[in-house]
Amino acid sequence: MPSLISLSGLHKSYFNDEVETAVLHGIDLEIDTGEFIAIMGPSGSGKSTLMHILGFLDRPTAGTYTFLGENTAGKNDDDLAAIRATKVSFVFQAFHLLPRATVLENVLLPLLYHPGIASIDREKYARKAIASVGLSDRAGFLSSQLSGGQKQRVAIARALVTEPALIFADEPTGNLDSASGLQVMEVLEKLNAAGHTIILVTHERTTAEFADRIVHIKDGLIESDTSSHKRRKAGADVKLK
Amino acid sequence: MNSLDLLTAAFSGIRTNTKRTAMTMLGIIIGVAAVVLMISIGRSFESYILSQIDSFGTNTMDIIPTGFEKFGGNLESLTIEDYERVKRLSTVEHVVPVIIVGKPVGYGREERTPMVFGATESIFGNYGLEIDQGRLLDSADEEGALHSAVVAYQTSLDLFGNRNPLGERITIGEESFTVVGTLQSVGSLLLSDMDKPVFIPFSTARIVSGQDHLSYMTLKTVGDPDIAKRDITELLRDRHRIKNPENDPDKDDFIARSAEQVTSIVSSVTMGLTVFLALIACISLLVGGIGIMNIMLVTVTERTREIGLRKAIGARPRDILLQFLAESVALTCTGGIIGILLGAGTGWMLSQIANRVLGEFHFVLSLSAIASAFAMAVVTGLVFGVYPARKASRLDPIEALRYE
Repeated sequence: MPSLISLSGLHKSYFNDEVETAVLHGIDLEIDTGEFIAIMGPSGSGKSTLMHILGFLDRPTAGTYTFLGENTAGKNDDDLAAIRATKVSFVFQAFHLLPRATVLENVLLPLLYHPGIASIDREKYARKAIASVGLSDRAGFLSSQLSGGQKQRVAIARALVTEPALIFADEPTGNLDSASGLQVMEVLEKLNAAGHTIILVTHERTTAEFADRIVHIKDGLIESDTSSHKRRKAGADVKLK
Repeated sequence: MNSLDLLTAAFSGIRTNTKRTAMTMLGIIIGVAAVVLMISIGRSFESYILSQIDSFGTNTMDIIPTGFEKFGGNLESLTIEDYERVKRLSTVEHVVPVIIVGKPVGYGREERTPMVFGATESIFGNYGLEIDQGRLLDSADEEGALHSAVVAYQTSLDLFGNRNPLGERITIGEESFTVVGTLQSVGSLLLSDMDKPVFIPFSTARIVSGQDHLSYMTLKTVGDPDIAKRDITELLRDRHRIKNPENDPDKDDFIARSAEQVTSIVSSVTMGLTVFLALIACISLLVGGIGIMNIMLVTVTERTREIGLRKAIGARPRDILLQFLAESVALTCTGGIIGILLGAGTGWMLSQIANRVLGEFHFVLSLSAIASAFAMAVVTGLVFGVYPARKASRLDPIEALRYE
C-alpha cells in the first residue's frame, strides 16, 4: 500500500523581481495514513510553506509530491481545488469562521464545494461533525458568540465534515488559553484515534507532544524526524544524516 | 456550488450590511425607476393623444392664419369670404368660423379670463361638446346676433358656484350676455382645456370684437382628409394670390392642420422626449453601476480572508468569480425590482394628477420598459461586477488567509 504522502527532493523558492528566495531545499518525507505528525520549526524555517504545498494551496518549485500514490505535478488550479474540497482540510490558528454565520452554516461551507455530497444530505453531515466536537447545542449560535476554544472546535468540525483523508492543523492552539488549547488537542487526538491522518504545524513543544511523530524543520531542511516511541526510548531527537 | 447555493450565498452576502447595500442600490433604483417612469409616462401620453384623436375624429381640420414674422404681426389673412368659399368645397362637410374675443368674462364680482369663442353652432359637434343645462347656441342666436352665451363646465363652476347659471347675465368686456346653457365636462382636447371656454354666436363676436378676419376655421372633411387639405390649400392660395408650386409652408399665410397631423407632431415630440429622458435615465444607471463596482471592490477587500478560506476548502476560481458576480447581479436585480415598483408607482400617481388636469389620461404601464429596465439592471450588475469578481477569484489563497 503506498504512503499517503511521499515527498522527494521537494524545493520551493519565491521570486520577487527576479530575486530568488529559496525556502525549502530538498525535503524527503513519507507520511502514512492514520499518522498524527507534528511539523515543528522556528519562524521562517519553512514549515508553513511545507504545509501549504502538502495542502495543495501552493506548488513546489522542484521535486516530486506524490499524494495517495499519484504524482501531483501537472495538476491545474481546478484539480488542486478539487483535492482541497474532498481529500484535505485545514484548521487554522485564526479559526477563519464567518462571523455572521451560525455554527451550522460555517460547518456546511465546505460541502458547497464537495461534489460527492448531495445537497439534501449536507445538514446531516454537518450536524454529525458538530456533534463529534461536542457542540451540538451551539449549532444555531453565531460563531461570533462563541469562546475561542469553541470557535476552534467549530473549525475542526468544518475540517471534518467532508471526511477528508488528511487534516492540517496550523498552530491550532496559538490563539487559545492553555485549557482551551488542551481541549482542542484532545479533540484532534480523538480524531486521530478514529483513523484520521493529522498533520500539525506548530512551534510549541507541548502541543507537538500530542503527535506520534515530530518532524523538525530548520532552514528549509528536515533536521530530525522522531517517533514518540523513539522519543520515549532515546529521550532525545534522532538527528538525520 | 449549484445555482441555489450561488443564489443563497449572493443574497446572504448583500444582507450582511443592509445600510450599505441600500445606499449602493440607490443609483440602480433611481436609474430603473427613471427608465420605467419616463417610458410609461411617454406611452401613457401617446395613448392619451390617440384617444383624443378617436374622440376628436380624424377628419377634423383647423385652418389657422400664419405669417406673423413675414407680415409684421398681421394675422388677418383668413377672411369671412374665405370661410364662405371653403364652405362650398365638396370635400368639406361643414366649416365653423371662429373669432377669439380677448376680453375678460365677469359675473358680479367674479372675473375670469377664459377663451371666448365666437363661432357658429357646429363648433359644439366638431369638438364633441355636449350640453349639461339649458341649450346650445342655435341659428336664431347666430342670425339675430343675440347676446347669448354657453359656458363650459369649469368656468360655470368658477363664476356661479352652486347657483343655477341659466338666465344669469355675464359680461364679456363691456357687453352683457345671457347664459343660455352650460356644457358637460370633457377635460382636454389635444392639450386644450375644453372645460374653460365661453361660446357666443359668431355674428355677435364680430360686432363685440370689431374684427372682420377670422381667428381660425375648424372643419370636418368628407372622405380622405389629404384631398380636402389639398383643395383648401389650392383655394386659399388662389384667393390670397400666393404662388407656391413647391409647397413651401413658409410661403403660405395660413396652415391647414389636421388632427392627425397634430397627433403625429405631438407623438414625435413625445417619443423624442421619452428617448431623451430614457437616455438620461441610462446615464443614471451607468453611474449606479460604477457605484456597485466600487462597493463590490470594497467588499472583496473586506472579505479577503473569507475568499482565502473558501479557496482553502475547495472553491475554484470560477466559484469565487460566480459568487461575487451573483452578489453584484443580486444587488442590481433587487435595486431593479424596487426601481420598477417605484417607477410604476410614481407613474401611476402622476397619471392620476394628469387625469385630473387633462381628463381621460390613463396610466399605461409599459411592459417592454419594465423588461428592458430590468435587463439593464442585470447587465449593469454583470458588467460592473466582473472586475471585482475577477479580482476576488484571482486572489492567492495563502495571501488572502494572511490578510489583516
